Amino acid sequence: MENLDYARLQMAFTLGFHIIFACIGMVMPFFMVVSHYKWLKTRKAVYLKLTKAWVKGVAIFFVIGAVSGTALSFELGMLWPEFMKHAGPIIGMPFSLEGAAFFVEAIALGFYLYGWDRLPERFHWYTGIIIGISGVASGILVVSANGWMNAPSGFEYVDGKFINIDPVGALFNPAWFTQALHMTLAAFVATSFGVAGIHAFQVFRGRNVELHKKAFKIALVFGAVAAFLQPLSGDLSAKDVAERQPVKLAALEAHYETGRGVPLYIGGIVDEGNRSVSHKIEIPKALSFLAFGDFDAEVKGLNDFPEDELPPVAIVHYAFQAMVGIGSLLMLAGLVFFISLKRKKWQESNKYWLLFVTMAPLGFLAIEAGWIVTEVGRQPWIIHQIMRTKDAVTPMPGMKYSFFFYVFLYTILALTVVWLMHRQIKTLNKPEN
Amino acid sequence: MLYVVLFFLLFSLLLYILLGGADFGAGIVELFSGNRKGTRDTIYGVIGPVWEANHIWLIILMVILWTAFPLYFNVLIVYLHIPLTLILLGITLRGVAFVFRHYDAVVGSSQFWYNWLFRIGSFVTPVFLGMTFAALVGGEIIITESYADHSFYQLFISNWFNPFCLFVGLFYAALCAFLASSFLIGETEGAMQRLYKAYSARYTVILVVLGFFLILYGYVNQIQFIRDFIHNPASIILVVVSGILLYPLWRSIANGNVLANRILAGIQVVLIVLAALLAHFPNIIIAKQGEMDLLEGMASGPTMDTLGISLLIGGVFILPGLFHLMKSFDMIKILKRRDDGSSNG
Repeated sequence: MENLDYARLQMAFTLGFHIIFACIGMVMPFFMVVSHYKWLKTRKAVYLKLTKAWVKGVAIFFVIGAVSGTALSFELGMLWPEFMKHAGPIIGMPFSLEGAAFFVEAIALGFYLYGWDRLPERFHWYTGIIIGISGVASGILVVSANGWMNAPSGFEYVDGKFINIDPVGALFNPAWFTQALHMTLAAFVATSFGVAGIHAFQVFRGRNVELHKKAFKIALVFGAVAAFLQPLSGDLSAKDVAERQPVKLAALEAHYETGRGVPLYIGGIVDEGNRSVSHKIEIPKALSFLAFGDFDAEVKGLNDFPEDELPPVAIVHYAFQAMVGIGSLLMLAGLVFFISLKRKKWQESNKYWLLFVTMAPLGFLAIEAGWIVTEVGRQPWIIHQIMRTKDAVTPMPGMKYSFFFYVFLYTILALTVVWLMHRQIKTLNKPEN
Repeated sequence: MLYVVLFFLLFSLLLYILLGGADFGAGIVELFSGNRKGTRDTIYGVIGPVWEANHIWLIILMVILWTAFPLYFNVLIVYLHIPLTLILLGITLRGVAFVFRHYDAVVGSSQFWYNWLFRIGSFVTPVFLGMTFAALVGGEIIITESYADHSFYQLFISNWFNPFCLFVGLFYAALCAFLASSFLIGETEGAMQRLYKAYSARYTVILVVLGFFLILYGYVNQIQFIRDFIHNPASIILVVVSGILLYPLWRSIANGNVLANRILAGIQVVLIVLAALLAHFPNIIIAKQGEMDLLEGMASGPTMDTLGISLLIGGVFILPGLFHLMKSFDMIKILKRRDDGSSNG
């Protein structure tokens, strides 16, 4: 493998790592604030205990998200200096606003973490809300910068030069809204099911059931609602990609032949050499309809794009299938949850809790798959149709060692966090502490 | 708007050096302290609520550089890839170690690892930060398009891995420790306070000695930055003023005037940093082939305008919030004293 491949792997690995922690750090404050609110309303000690346990989780996830995010802000330039040299002035605005939002979040977190018994109760609770809102704002702004790579706007590209730069136009690029909506909902789905799954496991094992049932409910309400909204947002994204990045749409559907009334493939094994897909289930005319809202619309196939502008097809197709499959599954699980609110009997069954335990990691897998779809699907471009990834990479050789170094560091960090969470839960389950 | 952007660049640089520096310094003081347990508890109480805020100044700094001064940023990020990676490693490890040691549900043998990661990370990170700055002005960077003409060592290592950069790195680490121990005096009482007074004096001496050898080494080895520094009257005046201020600083420490001691320590560091920046402003990169102006290849008007406006908007939210945070947790002693109705001695 070349330097470029290792640089891409490092970027993918560190982003993939950061996304998990960023999502948890962004969404968990909302659970914490709800539980805190219930404590203020009911003064039941169980809510206070739960809030404080979640606060510790937020602090640990926040710091990992923050340091891995700091690393990313360096890595953008360190791995892709040529990209940042030209793109920096254009997409500086979302990044500077993101810096500000993140700063507000850190300040609010300072108040919240250290404010117990020291700040007025209402003000203290309110700083928790600020953590959540500014966290979501940071996420949206960063995704907007990514949207610009897919839908570059706010400049003119003449003779290899970027002129007439309009940072506001770049911030509100055509892809920002669909991407930010999809990502924010995904963060809620994944974190909700993840946190709820952990508490479901505790209920399943019969430990401190009262507390964990309450925690499960608070966490899952967010995710179940978001899981129902996600297909709508996915539809917006698909139509947007169909219009702006037809080659990405063709890759994620592994659609080779241009035609009208094109079927949608579910599953299938992609043979990139022979440009064919086997073992798939076809839904007639569905792709034409989903992409353009018309059963007979023409969808351009991969064969009609220049060879050197094709992304890797198989991985994008598989990742897309995984994302959509998991999304649908989590929507069904959300339905089960809503029904169980009416039919309390379901909650007495161990199978019910086991179901949500198995759902716990799925949302994060879907997020990773979704980022593979959008990032690998954008290749070979780093700025769609403007700059190729290979032209942006650092001239410094030896990215191989850099990649393995980050893998080693982040693996240890991830293992430590898992171990710390395990200790948190164990402490939580002690009868008196 | 250029001036708004430059203001925020300088402002975040100074705040990062002061607040982030005091934060690093706290770890250095702990590392070299005879009473690590006592220091650990003081540090938690003092930097706890702002520990993360201190380091966001670095991100703001990076964002301003790449948005407004892309060519400058490009040189920094391409040729100093390795020390920047080491800085990241340090920030990551000490950041997580700090949180882990205070948020781990079980206080056990793992504390040993958190503590040492935090201490060592706190020491090596500012050394690499100082080395990175020194590399930018050290005259060893080879800016080139044809990478094959030079060895890996010449292009990516020798520009920062040299005695001059190491001196500057150690100097900055000592500066951090000086700041931290001077700030911590006001947070403690009795025996611990005497300890920090002694540390403050110790690091002042180390700082002066290191500074002397740094200039001597640079002068003997004909390092251009040091020569220009010595011949720049503004820089010399700033350093002399900083030296003179040592006397009132010691007086205020001896008299227990916490506020004056903090302001003076802060001003001294600001003066030293300004002296270093002024020696070459605005040519803040000195490469082998010549000097590079910060403003060279500056971003166009609309980018500057929106960046300036974004920074102003951000400032409106951040600065009052940060002030209120520090006030709420008694980090600004003057406000606390006013509440008590007594005046400062």
